[in-house]
Amino acid sequence: MRYALLVQGSPYSNQASHSALRFSHGLIARGHQLATVFFYHDGVYNAARLALPPQDEPHLVDEWRELHVRQSTELLVCIASGLRRGIVDEQEASRHGKTGHSLEAPFELTGLGQLIDAGLTHDRLVTFAP
Amino acid sequence: MILHTLNRSPATSRVYQQTLDAMASEDRLLLIEDGVQGALPSLSPLFGELSGRLYVLQEDVISRGLEERCDPSIHVVNVDGFVLLTEEADKIVSWF
Amino acid sequence: MNDIAFNRLLVVLRHGPHGSSWLREGLEVALVGAALGQDVSLLFYGEGVTALLKEQQVGPLAQKGTQPMLEMLPMYDIESLWVDAEALATYDLTLDELVVPAKEVGRHEVSDLFQRHRLVLNF
Repeated sequence: MRYALLVQGSPYSNQASHSALRFSHGLIARGHQLATVFFYHDGVYNAARLALPPQDEPHLVDEWRELHVRQSTELLVCIASGLRRGIVDEQEASRHGKTGHSLEAPFELTGLGQLIDAGLTHDRLVTFAP
Repeated sequence: MILHTLNRSPATSRVYQQTLDAMASEDRLLLIEDGVQGALPSLSPLFGELSGRLYVLQEDVISRGLEERCDPSIHVVNVDGFVLLTEEADKIVSWF
Repeated sequence: MNDIAFNRLLVVLRHGPHGSSWLREGLEVALVGAALGQDVSLLFYGEGVTALLKEQQVGPLAQKGTQPMLEMLPMYDIESLWVDAEALATYDLTLDELVVPAKEVGRHEVSDLFQRHRLVLNF
């Protein structure tokens, strides 16, 4: 089956990201495909390029990147939620006259239409929220 | 059949009541994260109407030190079982 | 899937305005879904019924309330609005006090709404 996840919790603040990653590994182990992860609400912080967790803690941003490498999982970040919270890619940063950016590939900023599309076109959508 | 997940403890949040009201007679409920507290014998009667359709996520039970303390009538599933429950459901609704 | 018997998208709103962004972000999903031509229903559930209070004002830093978004719903052809009857009683509200017209749904009917939609998003 093709799965989509909706992640709405901020990493290191609550368990949502950990639960979503654990579920991701579980569904892959059962032979499914994790096609899309959509980050909404405080979930957009999962894409923070400069996250620097201590070495004895899981690096959640890198774990998402690893899923992209393994499964070509699309890592979609809601642009409206992201911009409000300072999660911007290089293009949006320069468009708004900011130096530096906080989001980079394989994460991509996208619209909410992609969430609805994922919910209606994938076999399953599972939400992990704070 | 809908699989519902609940990540709030019924000891601290009334979301479980909204969850139960939204469940149809075939639906299943999986307790995850802090929701696993609902599997304690003192709280599990709140989910009494779900007999046979209530599940609790093993990893979240173990990490909280509750493994030996859960109501034995509740199905314990690991992440593999969580995925299986989502396979068997038409859709999944998360309560938080 | 059986698109005739099933509506497409149910957005469940369980929070009031200002205390968190859940209400606003849930409404945004509904409006975008409708703008994309999807058949969208809204359920104001639990505290979510307080989103429909006419007397809402701007927040402490002049942030907008959700009333303007609610008033846009008919323009987006979102006409399937359901409101939790039990929660109306809890918050001492009546249907005719709400900012947009909605239909009451009893707690025993809520599960039907969940079953009847292909995709349910809970906020």
